[in-house]
Amino acid sequence: MKSRTRGITAAVAAIAATALVAGCSAGGSGSGGGDGASATLTLGTNGEITSWDPGQAHVGHQLQPYQVAYDTLILREPDGSYSPMLAEEWSYNEDLTELTLELRDDVTFSDGAAFDGEAVKANLENLRDSNGRQSGQVAAMESVEVVDADTVTVVLAQPDPAFEFYLSQAAGLMGSPASLGTDAMISTPVGTGPYVMDTAQTVSGSQLVFTAREDYWNPDLQKFDSIVLKPFDELTARLNAALSGQIDAGLIDAPSVEQATGAGLTLIEDYRVDWSGLLLMDRDGVIVPELADVRVRQALNHAIDRDTVLQSIARGYGEVTNQVFGPDSGAYVDELDERYPFDPELARELLAEAGYPDGFELPVTAIPGFESAMAVLTQQFEDIGVRVRPISAPGATMLQELADRQHATLIWNLFQGEPWVAINQMISTDALYNPFDSTSEELQTMIEAVRTGGDDSAELAQQVNDYVTENAWFVPFYRADQLYVYDAEKISVEPQVQQAVPSIYNYSPVE
Amino acid sequence: MTSSDTSSKRRRSSVALRLVRNPLGAAGVVILLVMVALALLAPVLAPFGPNTAAIGNTLAAPGGDFLLGTDSAGRDTWSRLLWSGQLTLLSALLCASVAIAIGLPAGLIAGYFGKAFDGVSSWVANAILSLPSIIVLLSVRSAVGPSVWITMIVFGVMLSPGYFRLTRTAVLSVRNELYVDAARVSGLSDARIITRHVLSVVRAPIIIQTALIAGVAIAIQSGLEFLGLGSPQDPTWGAMLSEGFRNIYTTPMLMVWPALAIGLTTGAFVLIGNALRDALEDMPGTRLSVKALAGAATAIGTASAPVRSRIPSTVSVRTLAEPVDATPPEDAAEHLLQVNDLEIGYPDGDGGLKRVVEGVHFHVDRGEVLSIVGESGSGKSQTAFAVLGLLPASAQVVGGTVVFDGVQTVDPQRRRIADDRMRPLRGRRISYIPQEPMSNLDPNYTIGHQLSRPMVKLLGVSRAEARKRALVLLERVGITDPQRTFDAYPHEISGGMAQRVLIAGAVSCEPDLIIADEPTTALDVTVQAEVLDLLRTMRDELGVAILIVTHNFGVVADLADRVAVMQQGRLVEEGPVREILHHPQHPYTRALLGSMLVGREPLTPLTTTTKGPTS
Amino acid sequence: MIAFTLKRLGSGVLLLAVICTVAYALLFANGPSIARNIVGDQATAEQVAAKQTELGLDQPLPLRFLSWVGDAFAGDLGRSWFGPITVSDALVTRLPVTLTLIATAMIFVTLIATTLGTAAAVKRGWIDRVVQVGAIVGDAIPGFVVAVVLATIFAVQLGLFPAVSSIAPGAGADAWIASLTLPVIAIVLNYVTASAQQIRSAVIQQRERDFVRTLRSRGLGDGEILLRHVLRGAAPAGLTVLSLQFVGLLGGAVILERIFAIPGIGQLAITATVNGDIPIVMGVVVYTVALVVIVNLVVDLLNGWLNPKVRVS
Repeated sequence: MKSRTRGITAAVAAIAATALVAGCSAGGSGSGGGDGASATLTLGTNGEITSWDPGQAHVGHQLQPYQVAYDTLILREPDGSYSPMLAEEWSYNEDLTELTLELRDDVTFSDGAAFDGEAVKANLENLRDSNGRQSGQVAAMESVEVVDADTVTVVLAQPDPAFEFYLSQAAGLMGSPASLGTDAMISTPVGTGPYVMDTAQTVSGSQLVFTAREDYWNPDLQKFDSIVLKPFDELTARLNAALSGQIDAGLIDAPSVEQATGAGLTLIEDYRVDWSGLLLMDRDGVIVPELADVRVRQALNHAIDRDTVLQSIARGYGEVTNQVFGPDSGAYVDELDERYPFDPELARELLAEAGYPDGFELPVTAIPGFESAMAVLTQQFEDIGVRVRPISAPGATMLQELADRQHATLIWNLFQGEPWVAINQMISTDALYNPFDSTSEELQTMIEAVRTGGDDSAELAQQVNDYVTENAWFVPFYRADQLYVYDAEKISVEPQVQQAVPSIYNYSPVE
Repeated sequence: MTSSDTSSKRRRSSVALRLVRNPLGAAGVVILLVMVALALLAPVLAPFGPNTAAIGNTLAAPGGDFLLGTDSAGRDTWSRLLWSGQLTLLSALLCASVAIAIGLPAGLIAGYFGKAFDGVSSWVANAILSLPSIIVLLSVRSAVGPSVWITMIVFGVMLSPGYFRLTRTAVLSVRNELYVDAARVSGLSDARIITRHVLSVVRAPIIIQTALIAGVAIAIQSGLEFLGLGSPQDPTWGAMLSEGFRNIYTTPMLMVWPALAIGLTTGAFVLIGNALRDALEDMPGTRLSVKALAGAATAIGTASAPVRSRIPSTVSVRTLAEPVDATPPEDAAEHLLQVNDLEIGYPDGDGGLKRVVEGVHFHVDRGEVLSIVGESGSGKSQTAFAVLGLLPASAQVVGGTVVFDGVQTVDPQRRRIADDRMRPLRGRRISYIPQEPMSNLDPNYTIGHQLSRPMVKLLGVSRAEARKRALVLLERVGITDPQRTFDAYPHEISGGMAQRVLIAGAVSCEPDLIIADEPTTALDVTVQAEVLDLLRTMRDELGVAILIVTHNFGVVADLADRVAVMQQGRLVEEGPVREILHHPQHPYTRALLGSMLVGREPLTPLTTTTKGPTS
Repeated sequence: MIAFTLKRLGSGVLLLAVICTVAYALLFANGPSIARNIVGDQATAEQVAAKQTELGLDQPLPLRFLSWVGDAFAGDLGRSWFGPITVSDALVTRLPVTLTLIATAMIFVTLIATTLGTAAAVKRGWIDRVVQVGAIVGDAIPGFVVAVVLATIFAVQLGLFPAVSSIAPGAGADAWIASLTLPVIAIVLNYVTASAQQIRSAVIQQRERDFVRTLRSRGLGDGEILLRHVLRGAAPAGLTVLSLQFVGLLGGAVILERIFAIPGIGQLAITATVNGDIPIVMGVVVYTVALVVIVNLVVDLLNGWLNPKVRVS
């Protein structure tokens, strides 16, 4: 810390304005000196959330901010298991279409209103009706019945194996019913959570300041006096902030790890959430007829030297894989990672068998930021005669272009979440990343089995995994490390399974 | 004014020659040529493609296969630098082309035909110029996505007002000139007039503008790419810089190369632009005609080429041998002003000195009117300014003395009029009436301020007293409503009134000598007579001596006691006014008297027999 | 003077109107395809359509523009599509940072450039050469390259200044000074010699004017002539140069804010551009053009006031 503060001090001295400003700097938040400092957690976040209304809540990077101000019905532990939170217990009926939750009766919202069954109903309906990014989490929900003040039953139109998971995520966030859907709630959260926003200190896009709620029902989860979130859209700025001690933790990228650890920051090891690879979306051959042949897609998989790719794109921070489901998901199949060994010879043979001995031209889409992946891919495909035609898509409209079936393939990072979530994101005919709605009867049956599988659904998803791997729907490269660094002198952090950044409960001050 | 093709060709090649001779310009040309050559030869010189990655060899150190190392994607920095040069230079070219394609025709039309098109296009040009380009380009990026080409086209549009204004101004100044009128009369179509005459005028400024704009285009393009708003597949120096900035901790050298390339290229364009401008400004005939030699001399002094003030050793300077500082010549004491062997020169730009006044010798007595007569460039005004101590900074008094009432004002060591000796005399003892009344009043201050301020300063009177005296003076020079004139700004009074005001100013501190430099030339004939009357009255009533510089023998006859005739820097004849007018001895005097009958100042030297400097 | 003011004001308002129309048409034409990004990659087609309806993106463009204009007159520039904030609030929180940066830099540029330029015009000699060469160098090296070099050396390598701005609500003046020192230096380095060069030319031009010689002949001191007459005469040219630079800086600040991680309008604009946060981009355009109109108006009025011909009539 010494060397970091010296810079600022020197600067001020140099301008000879120390005397002038000495009186003004009081009241500053963040990592100032003094006893209270260790009780403030300052996190660098990737960008900012869209709205504080839980109806607009999101997951991944963006769940963490909501956890500061809101509690979820179910708490997801760092290892992925579920614990009681606002719901003390919950259980499904026989056919998995009714989930009954027993609620705590000692919880209030920060505006003073009591948390009860009506509040749960209001929130779930708010999420369903407000067209948020995660409204899909309650797509299966038919109705919410308030049994009594602390009991509700969620009625599902059809079983949803991820519903418990959803209630630990966006769908579980409980906001004060009086504020739901109001303009005020877009900028200011009103929840039951451990911290309350300090609106005077908060400036959107710059810093979001929260202070511990005094009468919070579960002080065990409230480990800091205050939490400051600093959104950084740009990696260099986030890294610099971490290096200079302006933030206690944040995500960085592979080339910066050495610098960060050299400066005394600690990297969370083996923290893997996303998989990185090429989505062969046009597997029906609409844009690129060659892709319709499974041998071509398999050839592409054999053409990739994944160890080299991992090294050159992510400097080795990750684990090579041939499948799109993660080891934590239950759908993971060990042997599948041996399915496509690097074998350009075999790849060329497969291409020849498919009738393309001289290869073909493959349009590959990427948004800015994937240059090195594009470069590596271009090279490795070239070795088997496949000529990559790079296409740059603007980030802002790329998703729509995908939906409009404008792109055959895409270099992308995707979340390795719960099997049902993953299926709905990239495999089912509803999935955006399956824009050409590729499917087969066989696959549909497998998916249906997962849906109705209850406790077995994760295991049933292994068949889906096997199917898409065998049919080479994707060219997975590796499971990327979340390169999350933190200042171990100030805080300790536990990674959160299947979540891009740790849950807010996973941070503790160092005594 | 018939400029033949050969002469314009000669001029062009001469500009190119001057450009290359200018060391900075030459450096710019060389750098640019190297950059262009590197970019063109990228396919040959670059060992790798722009997006070819050395897999597993990211951020490699320079050496081996990679001359300058690799970036974070394992792409060869040297190759990328070359490919980027291609795209970056091309985009600058595109930008400048678009700007010219829009600005030039629009400027031609607006300047030549004027009317509504001129009004609208000028407004649009101003509007575009007032927009911050980065913000505009950001929003274009938002609207149409990343594309080097679209960005550069839009930026070209944003830069087109530069060409528009330039062309329009040039066309306006040329449009009404004689040869275009003549062309119009002779039945040439508008299009041909424009192409033949106007384009030849704007060609040079457009080349300069283009050099500068190309530099700006590269800077802006690199800036946008640096922000990460470019297209990721297109190699550009800006994108490389951005990549370097992202890896600043691990491989700072990644940043150095593109920064160097950008700096060198934009710098080369700026150097070329500046050198071209200098070359064109130094060209004979390209500058607007300079009214007085003083103006030309100052222009030489301000040109950015280093001015050497060395005098060739062949010039012998008499006064240097025996300093005349403290001991004025014997007869000086008798005259109010005694000028002896005055020699004034200006650096000619080639290390030598051009004499404009040589061995001039005359005197003025108290209450006497001496008139110095000569055509333009005869050195008469230079002589007068030497007496006032108001020669341009680059002028050198290389010989002779000027003695006013016993004070010798020439500082032979520094070759100029000593300001410390002159300062107590100016305004208080010697004053000045300029030729052009309007330009000799500061448009930003009232007449009253400009009249009374010297009195407050020199005579030490109060402001109220100065005001009272100024009003009296204004009345005395024949102004009917002194109070109104006192409160007026120069633009609110007529030229005749302004000259009266200047005469009032000249006599306000009761000087002994007034230097009047063509005091009537700029005035209407009727006003001329009134002003001469006024000067005579001043002489008669105040007993002030007047040194009047003119080319007009009418003025001489009207006012002067004695006449000195100057030709090409030398005094050719001097004597009482009647004698000179009736029995001129020198052929030049006779010629001058002859031309007076025509009533116009001779535009060309009347005699070509004697060799010497001409204007 | 009143007619003059009204004319300039009218021209400014017209400019604002034209730019808003063009910008809106360009930017919002893309709106519908950005809706997908707002609801995210897990949304269904129905959700996307609902979002488009919610944002009014299903309406014809001219209609949307008219309603935007109506709201804008009421001070409502809409809401960010990607952040929990209204466009006006976003601009209001960022504006002080950017304006402080630009204004501080302009004050230094004005003071230094005027001194340097006048000294170069009057003294000539080495100071003149410094200004001349400096102007070429300043023109030759893009400002952001200077800034990148400064950031690398002084913030990253030497650690004398924070690499990331610590400007935030409640942050003291020390944070502001530490954050803005380097960018201000970068701007001054890049702009000062060019301005000095222009001011030098203006001063030289003024000094060559006939009335300066006449004033000297009247016995006024060189200092008085320089300060009261020459600089007064050069002021309009200087003002114009500085106002052009101010406008240039509105754009230049965008890159500087990115390099020094300053939370100003520029960062807002870049992020919004990348995300496709069209209402914010539109807001930034409106604010920038309004600022340009105001600055130009002020400069025009100042120039008019400085010019007796305009002032007196």
